[in-house]
Amino acid sequence: MLRNSQPQTVAGEADVVSTPAGTRPASAASPRQPLSLILGRYSAVFLWIGFLILFGILKPDIFLTVSTFRLTFGEGVVTAVLALAFLVPLAAGTYDLSVGALMGLSLCLINWFSLNTDLPIAVVCLIAVAVCCASGVLSGVLVVRFRVNSLIATLGVSQVLSAVTLKISDNRQVIGKFDGTFEKMGSSNVLGVPVVVALLLVLAVVVWAVLEHTPVGRHLFAVGGNPEAARLAGLPTSKLVYGSFVASAGIAALAGIVYSMRVGAYSAEAGPGLLFPALAAVFFGASQFSGRPNVWGTLVAYFALAFGIKGLQLAFGPGTFWIQPLFQGAALLIAVALASRQITQTRKSRRAQAAQATAA
Amino acid sequence: MLTISSLSKSFAGQLALDRVDLEVQQGEVHALVGQNGSGKSTLIKVLAGYHQPDDGASATMHDAPLELGSAVAAHAAGIRFVHQDLGLVLELSGIENLMLGRSYPVGLGGRIRWSAAREQAQALVERAGLTIDVRRPVGELGLADRTGLAIARALPDASLGSALVVLDEPTAALPNTDVERLFETVRHLREAGNSILIVSHHLEEIFEISDRITVLRDGKKVATTDAASADADSLVRMMVGHDLVVSGGRTAGQRDEADVVLDLADVAGGTVHGVTAQVRKGEVLGVAGLTGSGREELAAIVTGRLPRTGVVRVAGTEIVAGSPSAGLKAGLALVPGERARYGIFSNFNVRENLTLGSLGRHTFKGRLARRSEAREVQEYISSMGVVTRGPEAPITSLSGGNQQKVLVARALRLDPAVLVLDDPTAGIDVKARDQVHTIVEAAVDGGMSVLLASTDSGELARLSDRVLVLRQGRVVRELVRGADLSAAAIDQAQVAAPLLELPSELRPAAP
Repeated sequence: MLRNSQPQTVAGEADVVSTPAGTRPASAASPRQPLSLILGRYSAVFLWIGFLILFGILKPDIFLTVSTFRLTFGEGVVTAVLALAFLVPLAAGTYDLSVGALMGLSLCLINWFSLNTDLPIAVVCLIAVAVCCASGVLSGVLVVRFRVNSLIATLGVSQVLSAVTLKISDNRQVIGKFDGTFEKMGSSNVLGVPVVVALLLVLAVVVWAVLEHTPVGRHLFAVGGNPEAARLAGLPTSKLVYGSFVASAGIAALAGIVYSMRVGAYSAEAGPGLLFPALAAVFFGASQFSGRPNVWGTLVAYFALAFGIKGLQLAFGPGTFWIQPLFQGAALLIAVALASRQITQTRKSRRAQAAQATAA
Repeated sequence: MLTISSLSKSFAGQLALDRVDLEVQQGEVHALVGQNGSGKSTLIKVLAGYHQPDDGASATMHDAPLELGSAVAAHAAGIRFVHQDLGLVLELSGIENLMLGRSYPVGLGGRIRWSAAREQAQALVERAGLTIDVRRPVGELGLADRTGLAIARALPDASLGSALVVLDEPTAALPNTDVERLFETVRHLREAGNSILIVSHHLEEIFEISDRITVLRDGKKVATTDAASADADSLVRMMVGHDLVVSGGRTAGQRDEADVVLDLADVAGGTVHGVTAQVRKGEVLGVAGLTGSGREELAAIVTGRLPRTGVVRVAGTEIVAGSPSAGLKAGLALVPGERARYGIFSNFNVRENLTLGSLGRHTFKGRLARRSEAREVQEYISSMGVVTRGPEAPITSLSGGNQQKVLVARALRLDPAVLVLDDPTAGIDVKARDQVHTIVEAAVDGGMSVLLASTDSGELARLSDRVLVLRQGRVVRELVRGADLSAAAIDQAQVAAPLLELPSELRPAAP
């Protein structure tokens, strides 16, 4: 899956390029896909269904309830938004590790401003988004102008943002004074769906439409696939990278807004702690469906795991708090390993097919 | 030395090799020829252990059974490969590249003795008849020297006895003098009792170097013949299955002398030291030159991949240096050399590769309409004869020649005033080459201008109205259609062009 987004960093790409006649697994159009490949492409969906059945049998009275569904989706919204923030630059072959810190900053700013000023909450949110976008521009400058590797640049930016956040919060919890409607939005439902989940869906549709159905999205994937060829084809590669960082920062700021709707107060753990689950969801998701970083793969991967974790917690009680990182780490590793194995599996199954063809 | 019998290999149910037999004798140069898609590369890759053969194949090497599809077995049997992409690590020095797969001489505590390693590397390079500085990063070497280095690296240690060296398209990007140097190496290896299996599209070269020739077509072996008893016509017939229509060159159309579309004024950068030239509407300007002459960088400099000085004007508009998009806006499109590196998006399918750069005509209210996009791509696939499963097939499933057609289509659909072609048919088969030429000719007849930098003198002679011969980064000859333009004249001019009187600032300072 990484192969698709970052060919220049992964050994073996040259082999793939020079491979003749369809040994490549990403041929979604091929009617001859082996079953194992299809299973791999939809493994997150099957995993999700599997968890629903498993815990539905183990704990039918509490697991398969509307409130559990609302809770699990609601709890996962913030991380899922953060995952979408990470997804956009990844499509362009760029990592933005500062999304966690950006969310923390956004959350801190919202609480600080609502505590210390009388600005309406909408203005406060706009300030948070604007500040985060400015940080996205900074990451863009580092990566595009100074040619710093994006992993290193955003790791550095992430630490600087943490420092800013610590300074503003004075290393304490900041509890903003929100008017009722803001927090009410975080806990109410529309048409039976939590408002925050609806917001996530709207955001996901927007990101999906841009990535998959606009020239900009196509151009982002082109830069992710072969930056030099993209430049030669006349694409504004620098602008695209800048844009992806700003979009990612803006979405990370939204994650902070959603968090403040749901939870309210700023504390130092919010934000950076969610970075890994978000990354895991994006990478796991990139092995799903189209085989490149994509919105629905990311969301399905994330919520499949979230439901598994929720089920385990319900089945085995509160002592299972350690299960979450174990689950996310293991799922990430297995997904990536499966994605790498797809190549060899395709070869094997094609050999088998060919053997049948010759025998017939 | 090597025998292969009944080798088949299929991809997705499609036979790439169909019960092929091959026999390479001790001390011979054996050529493997065929169009792209004929199965040459697949055969080499099975031999190298990159692909597994289908059941039923067997092979022997030095009369001992050889396991096909195993890289380890091939290596142990003394089979060595130099692939088209050479497999060098450009960031590492010549020494480090040569020592990959060899053990370094080490001193106390496992420290590498670099001076000894350098001597060892130098000896390898000399065995291949090369004079290059092995301390330089390979990326700084020209293509010819890189090929030589890759061969030097492939040479097995003399102690292993006679070996089989497989050269896959070694001359694809080499100008003639370098080819000659390469062949000296090949002959040298043969005289030492080794065998060489060479894959090439260049028939003249095949006749020059090889003892026997095996022809593949559509995955089947057509024949193995002595090079001495074969001629080019019969070989081409065996390769394509019918007589190839060879165009005798474009008929020069009416050209308006005043209508200059591309104007280069003292353009310099990299190995190009100052080229001034004009291309008129509907004209094809060829650029020839040996490796290092500036020919290989001119297209990249003009179109903005590499930085430059001097002035480039397209239809009167001056183009900012180093900006491909500025050139494109003014109507300067490029089909880049080194396809895989500068042209192809391996994560995209045929459709996405072909339409990149101009999606506007399929964008309605900001939304990309895939169906109308696929329709246009299908039209190009049909009109250009691209062999593919369809617009949605991964680009990497196409052969090199067909990938190249997609890149030509990508440039042509921008409807450029000037098309810059950088070695457009390097490493692609005769039929695809002919098709690419026909496509370019049609576009030129429609009024497009072309700047064609090429290592292929036949191609230059066929397409160009004029050919500039570069040497030391400057134009040293101009050949004009009708007067003195032919493949032989281009070859001769590249080699025989007089060395330039160096301008004073480049001369060594007087003591």
